[in-house]
Amino acid sequence: MTKSKERKARPYINPYVGGVLLGLVLLAANFVSGRGLGASGAIKSTVVTAMNTVAPEASANSGFVKEFGEAHSGSPMKTWLVFEMLGVLVGGFLSGSLAGRLRFKVEHSPKITSRRRLIFALAGGVLFGFGSQLGRGCTSGSALSGMAVLSLGGFVTMMAIFGTAYALAYFFRKNWI
Amino acid sequence: MGPLSVNEIISENTNLFLAFIIGIGFGFVLEQSGFSSSRKLAGVFYGYDTVVLKVFFTAAITAMLGLLFFSLFGWIDLNLVYVNPTYLTSAILGGIIMGAGFIMGGYCPGTSFCGASIGKLDALVFIGGLFLGVFIFGLGYNLWEGTYMANFLGSPKVSESLGMSDGIFAFLLIIIALAMFWVAEWAEKKFPREEY
Amino acid sequence: MKPRTLLAMFIIPMGLIIAAVPQNKTKPYKLTADQLLAEVNTRTQYITPDAVADMIVKKDPSLRLIDVRSQEEFEKFSLPGAVNIPVNDLLSDKYTDILNQDVKMNVFYSNGSLVANEAWMITRQLGYINNYVLEGGLNYWFDAIMNPQKPSTVNSDEEFAKYDFRKSAGAALGGGGVVASTSEQTSASPKPAIKPAAKKKKAAGGC
Repeated sequence: MTKSKERKARPYINPYVGGVLLGLVLLAANFVSGRGLGASGAIKSTVVTAMNTVAPEASANSGFVKEFGEAHSGSPMKTWLVFEMLGVLVGGFLSGSLAGRLRFKVEHSPKITSRRRLIFALAGGVLFGFGSQLGRGCTSGSALSGMAVLSLGGFVTMMAIFGTAYALAYFFRKNWI
Repeated sequence: MGPLSVNEIISENTNLFLAFIIGIGFGFVLEQSGFSSSRKLAGVFYGYDTVVLKVFFTAAITAMLGLLFFSLFGWIDLNLVYVNPTYLTSAILGGIIMGAGFIMGGYCPGTSFCGASIGKLDALVFIGGLFLGVFIFGLGYNLWEGTYMANFLGSPKVSESLGMSDGIFAFLLIIIALAMFWVAEWAEKKFPREEY
Repeated sequence: MKPRTLLAMFIIPMGLIIAAVPQNKTKPYKLTADQLLAEVNTRTQYITPDAVADMIVKKDPSLRLIDVRSQEEFEKFSLPGAVNIPVNDLLSDKYTDILNQDVKMNVFYSNGSLVANEAWMITRQLGYINNYVLEGGLNYWFDAIMNPQKPSTVNSDEEFAKYDFRKSAGAALGGGGVVASTSEQTSASPKPAIKPAAKKKKAAGGC
């Protein structure tokens, strides 16, 4: 009889408790830095840095890089969001290891293949990356943090994201249920 | 008096270090709540797992109330806190594209980092897609710069636009959020669920 | 008890409180009482009428005169180019941009220097810079610039230079007597430099 190597992973915490904790983290961010959480900005920083490194003249002329440069002085990687996202990686890892959830896997509904899941993940990522730039934020930066400070733009973006996802849910149902 | 960084009570480097610490808290809470799982995240759109709704709105009302109370006690100057600007066209358009990305990819940038940190390969691929998407946006920036900058309304708050005080709007949102929680619980009872 | 119910029981009263209580609109003080006293004691907020007259004559664009008396008094007489911000209205939102900035030099004046000083103290405590008080106010202004006293012969050259300057400035500003002296009309005291405001950055955020 072989001993199962799988430890039973700890369950997730109660969502309301998690919500309160997340709200407190958001509050701390606003209190310390005067801004809310975010994520897509870190991706933007990395892309701008890559563009600057690989093709300096071309990117110096790029409207995108210029717009970024107007808002940020100094190195594009030395921003609040980049440091925050590094923290997210550490925090997620800590939590996962404490709860026994560390495992390389492709998570997908049993009704589809891994390959299909990965294709959709890529496509979803491309769309989300593009949309987050247009919308000036993602669900963390625009929707969540925006709502906490009552920003109109935040609310509008949030409603657009969730509304569209609900509207399209029917077409992608095979991937999930 | 907060915000600490804007009032120069802490230095820029301390601010960045604290950003890292706050990020750790962010990632930890997200993962503990199950946001590292794309199936849980997508569940809210089908009703079988409404964790996104509960966590999201609870966090929003907690932080909102927290900020308003801090301001009441004089612990923070809300005029110095960043309020997201409103560019109406791109906010809506971007949101629509993101919504499509969400339902297809099952992640958003923050949660994808969370998922990637515990080894989810689909999260990693999603992040790759994010880079591609941002890059594409940057390449063609001149094509959509007009849309991107259209309809700038400043940084209005929803309470201002609706003509009510911040506090009253916060209360309204609390009621709406609680109503949604009750509906969410009802929806989950209707669908069988297994923990992912 | 279920967390959801616990949450609701806690958060609804909090929401009611926050909805009912009026918002905290007080502008925070940036300077402590000690700091303000130290500044008051150095009297650096004063600017001489000579310096101001010089700026007016030279049409210096960085000068902004602020009359803190009532509107009536302002309409009866005011210095050229002055703006009227009655001291009771000093904290109104419509004047914040004028008072809290780093482009122009604001000089408060009143009949004496009492009310102008009041305005200066209040704005200084809020952390605003580049605000000054016209030494002696309008009373001294009339005496010194508009009707300068010719110094007796035992006074130094400096005094004479000041007198010459004041006469021409007074003439330029509509006072009596005239000396079309084309010699250097240097102001007797240098005007203070405009300090750039500390970068009042609202935190950059987003994304």
